[in-house]
Amino acid sequence: MSRVSDYAFVNAKLRARIGIMHDSTLFDEMIKAPSLTEAVAKLEGSHHANLLEVYRNTGDLQQLELQMLDDEISLYREIEGYLPSLPSSFISVLLEKIEVDNVKNVIRLWYSDVVRQHIISYRSAYLYKKQIVHEIDYDKAVNAVSFPEFVHAFKGTPYEAVLDAFSMERLASEGLFPLEIALDHLWFSHLEKGIEKLGGIDRKIASQIYNTDVDLKNILMLTRYSYSYHLAYEELERVMIPMGYIYKEAEKTGALKSDDPMSVLSAIVRHHYPQISEEIQRIRRTADDLTTVEENNREIVLIEAYLGERRKHEYKKILVGDPFSIGVVLAYFFLCLQEDSTIRAILSGKYYGRSEMKIREGLGL
Amino acid sequence: MSMFTRKMRMLTAVVMESDRDSVVKALLEKGVMEFVHIGSLPDEKMSKLSSHSSSVPKAALTDMRVRVETLLKEGGIQLPELDSSIIDSLPALDMDSYKRTLDKLSLSLQSVRDKQREINQDSNALSEIIRYNAEKKDEYLDLRVGENTHGSAEDLLNRLEQIGGIFIFSSRPYISLTLRRDSQRVTEVMDKFSWTESTDSEAQKTAMGIAIKAAQERTESYRTDLEKLSVDVKERIRNVSPELLTIWKTVRLHELCEHVESFFSYTRNTTLFSGWVPSEFSDDITSLIGKVTSGRCIIEWTEADEVPRDEVPVEMSSPRILRPFERMVNNYSTPEYGSINPTPFTAVAYLCMFALMFADLGQGVILLLVGLAGSWMYKKHPEKKDGIISRYLCSLLIFLGPASMVGGLLFGSCFGFELIPPLWFPYDAVVEGEPVQGLIQDIYDILGITIKFGIVIIYAGLILNWINLTRKRRYFELIFDKNGLVGGVMYALGIWFAWGFVASGYKTFPSAPFFAPVLIVCLALIVIKGPLGAVINARNGHRESIGRVIIDTVMDFLVEVLEIFSGLLSNTLSFMRVAGLGIAHASLMSAFYQMADMPGNGIAKIAIMILGNVLVIVLEGLSAGIQSLRLNYYEFFTKYFTGHGVAFEPVGLRSRTRAD
Repeated sequence: MSRVSDYAFVNAKLRARIGIMHDSTLFDEMIKAPSLTEAVAKLEGSHHANLLEVYRNTGDLQQLELQMLDDEISLYREIEGYLPSLPSSFISVLLEKIEVDNVKNVIRLWYSDVVRQHIISYRSAYLYKKQIVHEIDYDKAVNAVSFPEFVHAFKGTPYEAVLDAFSMERLASEGLFPLEIALDHLWFSHLEKGIEKLGGIDRKIASQIYNTDVDLKNILMLTRYSYSYHLAYEELERVMIPMGYIYKEAEKTGALKSDDPMSVLSAIVRHHYPQISEEIQRIRRTADDLTTVEENNREIVLIEAYLGERRKHEYKKILVGDPFSIGVVLAYFFLCLQEDSTIRAILSGKYYGRSEMKIREGLGL
Repeated sequence: MSMFTRKMRMLTAVVMESDRDSVVKALLEKGVMEFVHIGSLPDEKMSKLSSHSSSVPKAALTDMRVRVETLLKEGGIQLPELDSSIIDSLPALDMDSYKRTLDKLSLSLQSVRDKQREINQDSNALSEIIRYNAEKKDEYLDLRVGENTHGSAEDLLNRLEQIGGIFIFSSRPYISLTLRRDSQRVTEVMDKFSWTESTDSEAQKTAMGIAIKAAQERTESYRTDLEKLSVDVKERIRNVSPELLTIWKTVRLHELCEHVESFFSYTRNTTLFSGWVPSEFSDDITSLIGKVTSGRCIIEWTEADEVPRDEVPVEMSSPRILRPFERMVNNYSTPEYGSINPTPFTAVAYLCMFALMFADLGQGVILLLVGLAGSWMYKKHPEKKDGIISRYLCSLLIFLGPASMVGGLLFGSCFGFELIPPLWFPYDAVVEGEPVQGLIQDIYDILGITIKFGIVIIYAGLILNWINLTRKRRYFELIFDKNGLVGGVMYALGIWFAWGFVASGYKTFPSAPFFAPVLIVCLALIVIKGPLGAVINARNGHRESIGRVIIDTVMDFLVEVLEIFSGLLSNTLSFMRVAGLGIAHASLMSAFYQMADMPGNGIAKIAIMILGNVLVIVLEGLSAGIQSLRLNYYEFFTKYFTGHGVAFEPVGLRSRTRAD
């Protein structure tokens, strides 16, 4: 089978779908809507109309979000079915990312119940309990009364080993952040292996997309931490995703172990992404007052928005590239997930009664 | 119906500022004018005109209208049509009051949604318990049967309900069914009330069933409550619907007025405006403005010929019955102003092509019935969303059905059977290779018919192009273009040549004294096209170097000749798909006919023939429809349809134009 026959159908199908994706008018109208009910009602006639039905029947935003997750998983499965075995198994790796996030949700819920002693009651109903990639006993996890019992729910999955490295005491003292980072790193290691398994142009495209993507995430991480903390080697090693051009170079040159790792890393960022580096500096320079936490947060939001735009730009570049490659599939997923996260952010903003301006600011609009 | 696009005239009017509102309302009521900005005045005069400034910004009006529409939709209320009565009694805008009304309603709806959410969460909590029981996962449940020996049962119940679960305290012993993960919390509460487990083994045995039944009843009641609240949202909107509809009408009308007035310019005492109107309405508009201003106006009409063609809006004046085909044309593009209206030609060509590809009396009847039933259903339920068989498809099927029936009568085919004598020739018999009398005897003859049909279509396209070019006075293109006279003559030569070759049994090429001279003249015309064009351009001030003219001439000649020969040849042969699909249709029906005979059972035969017909109607019908469209777009439209027009969009009370 040639690349053309492998990708002709999926390419045509996805491009047609990209063509009818929502423009910013829908989001604009949702942001302008004065209440959550009116914001959700804007979904009428869109391809998210099923969410409106869920909301009309339950009035429950979390139920709606669960439906969104279900739709996302179905989307991955559908595309997976259109592809030949190699790219299809790569989509499975991407689906694992959704699973990792779901696992994090289970952990948070369990942590809230057992460690923090909060009643989770109905909240477990918002967990996605069907199989995504691996067989996880979500019921067992959410009902576990001890950490070993909780870990047992993940028996036979790659998450078991990660969870085993932690203990109830460690989680109680350090919180969930280290565990969540460890799960993310696990996924990125799977992603790297998945990319390696792809052939020819697919490997090149996926490698370029995800290495750049990870770089942008690492830049964001460094931007966040560089204000508040002087991170030592161990912390940097822990928070940085061990993938991407920046990390690889930092590892090669031993930057993380140097006396001032942040400045060495900044130099690497400047070298690889001069435009991004310049833009971050510009935002910092033009920020009114860097002394307040609020101003710092605002600045981080601006940088996040800029990096988000860069990611969008990178994916859009792929769309004009080779049509008979995995690129169009990855770009489609990115656009869909971005659309979904925008809807989530708007609805959540409406739920918490945030102003139009705050919601726009959060979305980088 | 006019054969060409509708004739337009541009109105420029000056009215007194005091008459402005009356003029706007009258024009909106008439709804035949597309407003344009006045741009033809010299700059110094334009600077003396001030543009429109409004008390309520148009964007605010649009936002308000959209908000009301969202709420009306949520209440399942159809948007009304604006009529002239609203103009006469146009209420003043009170945006603050509208906002208050909508905010109040929105708040009330949100409170219902919040109630729904709470009920849904309670229901979710119980559903988990019910599910564990149903899936035999009782290890996640904590069942306790007993009673308190300290404090009141009511207090105990209140405390337990805060944890969540199902509690039956109506009779002793009490039953508590919770999730095991809450055991510790339940124990803590029960200990405070000195809970003692019952020793009644019967009560212990039956407790789970009782609790689950109660939980199921409770979730059922939650479901009913959720449904009631869902209906309540609609009710609350319907209760204020008269007010909402009044707001919508007022805001919409003001929005339209704002939209129209945004094209106006002003001096101290007068208002100037301009817009396009179909010429048959120009007298009406003149008298209308004269009437509402009591003659205090200056009206000037500009003919479309005095304005660059691409600035004149285009409207096709096709009969209502041809709307499905007008949509096909619009999907392709808007024709240039003053050119031929392609709709009737598209209708004829499309239906002929479909009839040739999908010729079956019985299947045609089915298509017609589906079209009629669908149209009736959509008319009865105007709010119904388009399904796979959309409104548009239904309206098209009403044409395609009869076209297919006519084809069936011509070729004597009904549900794949030769039940009726053919008016022309038995298509199915020819395809199956049966001996047939008459002019059409084998598949090659069928292919020949479609090629001839293609030639007719292509020539029709070329002739329409020549008419268009003559009307536009583009004589140069009319003579020299590949779709002009030269192209037409060369195509005729090609047809004559190919015909002779085929007639000789593919043995000899035909010869005639006119052939070589006509061909040479045509080629010479193509050669001189470049230099002649350069001379004309030079006269218009666009001088080109001789070297460039020579290179362009050589390249244009090669490309043009290649395009005429290969392009028209491939266009003609492309029509063989009409025969291809017709043959496929007959062959498929024949295959199903043979398959139906295999079981030797009457019922099975009928079932296979029904299934076969359904498959053929769906698949072949779709293919024939798409291929007909393709032939129209690529072989027919490309000959005469330039599509450089801008659609005419008049603003009126009933116009769906978004005023933003």
